[in-house]
Amino acid sequence: MTLIFIKNASDFHAAIIFRIYHVNMKTKKTNYCHLYWEAEGLSCAEEMDIHRGVFRMKIKQFFSKPYRWGVLFGGVLAIFFTYALLDTFVIPKALVSAEQSRDNQTATSDPAYGQSEAGQTNSGISQPSDDSVAEPSDQNTESAQSEQAEAVITDTSYSDENISITIETVREYDTTFYVADIEVSDASYLKTAFAQNTYGRNIKETTTDMAAENNAIFAINGDYYGFRDKGYVLRNGVLYRDVSNNAEALMIDSEGNFSIVQEGEISAQSLLDSGAMQILSFGPVLMENGEVMVTADSEVSQSMRSNPRTAIGQISERHYMIIVSDGRTSESAGLSLLELAEQFEKRGCSTAYNLDGGGSSVMYFNGNVINNPSNGRGNREREVSDIVYFGYS
Amino acid sequence: MYTLDIHKAKRKKILKTILVYLILSVFAVVVDNVYALFGHGVRSASMSLMFLYLLLGGALGYFLLWLIAPGVYLNKWYRLGYNLYNSGIATLTVGGFYKGILDIAGTESDYTQMFSILGWGMTAAGFVVLIVSVMNCYSKPEQQRGKTI
Repeated sequence: MTLIFIKNASDFHAAIIFRIYHVNMKTKKTNYCHLYWEAEGLSCAEEMDIHRGVFRMKIKQFFSKPYRWGVLFGGVLAIFFTYALLDTFVIPKALVSAEQSRDNQTATSDPAYGQSEAGQTNSGISQPSDDSVAEPSDQNTESAQSEQAEAVITDTSYSDENISITIETVREYDTTFYVADIEVSDASYLKTAFAQNTYGRNIKETTTDMAAENNAIFAINGDYYGFRDKGYVLRNGVLYRDVSNNAEALMIDSEGNFSIVQEGEISAQSLLDSGAMQILSFGPVLMENGEVMVTADSEVSQSMRSNPRTAIGQISERHYMIIVSDGRTSESAGLSLLELAEQFEKRGCSTAYNLDGGGSSVMYFNGNVINNPSNGRGNREREVSDIVYFGYS
Repeated sequence: MYTLDIHKAKRKKILKTILVYLILSVFAVVVDNVYALFGHGVRSASMSLMFLYLLLGGALGYFLLWLIAPGVYLNKWYRLGYNLYNSGIATLTVGGFYKGILDIAGTESDYTQMFSILGWGMTAAGFVVLIVSVMNCYSKPEQQRGKTI
């Protein structure tokens, strides 16, 4: 049975709109619709007023129905949420290719093209503005790279007259970790590379692929700069991002020496002008001036205490130490930052810096992955933005 | 008699809203714990506390509304306030979840601010409209009781 009654809802000039209520006595639900009666001889403006009024009432009626607004808004919110996630984690945004930026560097250092005032290029990529900045032993580099000496290679070592690498597997703290002792004759053998040779957000490749593309002898994952919008990015003498993360960063100068800089206190451009070749922005600092800088409570962001880790340290001039640990598995718990720092201290490092870890941690040597990456989806490598490597090309 | 039946059914709607918010609060806690399982035990305060939007802003808010003015749904402004307020709470909860994902992954994004601004804006607007509804309600005793048109 349905009960119907009529109520005058509103009127517009010579038109009247009736609201008709329907009440279903079985479900006890009410509903209504509008009847619209229009008198003849209305002006155009009056008709428009009436139509606008009817439209407003229809909209009001539409959203007064239960769930309609909820369904509509829920849909919009779901779409926005999905897009935000995709934009943050998936959609690649290539900003500039590393090759292009190197070409720019060549062009700006060529007198025929003229030196820009602050080393700034049209692409937003910067090179050192000071001509006096020391280039990394150009003659040595060229001669060394042109005639790569015959190497003696084993499963855990590499040695030629310019690069010496020894990898040791250590079991401590219920964790397996890998310690690489690396010495080079010239700082230019320590390099970095971007995924797909391109600087940008969500541009990713595995450490193995990047290492292979760059003919790296030894490589580790970098700071995964492309996962964040902040933090200095300066690679192979080219500045890509001068946005402070207000964190401590690792600077590697043209002589291959490590130092810790506080982002925000000094700009990346100033560091570039003072001779920085690489800036890695992750952290925290494990060791500085021979002292351990972390405590048992130190941790990266929200991470748990024990994790797969990647860290790089310097023992002396052109003598480096890299540690990568397994973790998050039943065989290997992972290292805390303090445990990691203590390993660098034990091996005589003066400076050590933590890089991206967790599923990103990979140590690559001579075509093979040395550690057991754990990216949460089985033991396969996670794709990352960048690597730090040793090699000739 | 029929009218009273209708309004009895409508009064239950506020209680139903409270119940839905309670269920969603539990769901938010479950989501946080499941996410933590797949995130190697890593947690984010934003994600862990997102259930508070639903519990305090939603369930508790509507419970207070039900206590203060059980007949507020009769006011013409109620539906607008209800929609805005619920949308704000939903946006804040989803924003908390999104920020939690970012925290655990170790990154950040401007979208978190957009969620916050939109969420708090709609919640505040909805709250104001609901307050207006309650005030209107008190000026009409029959609406305050919620028993007749």
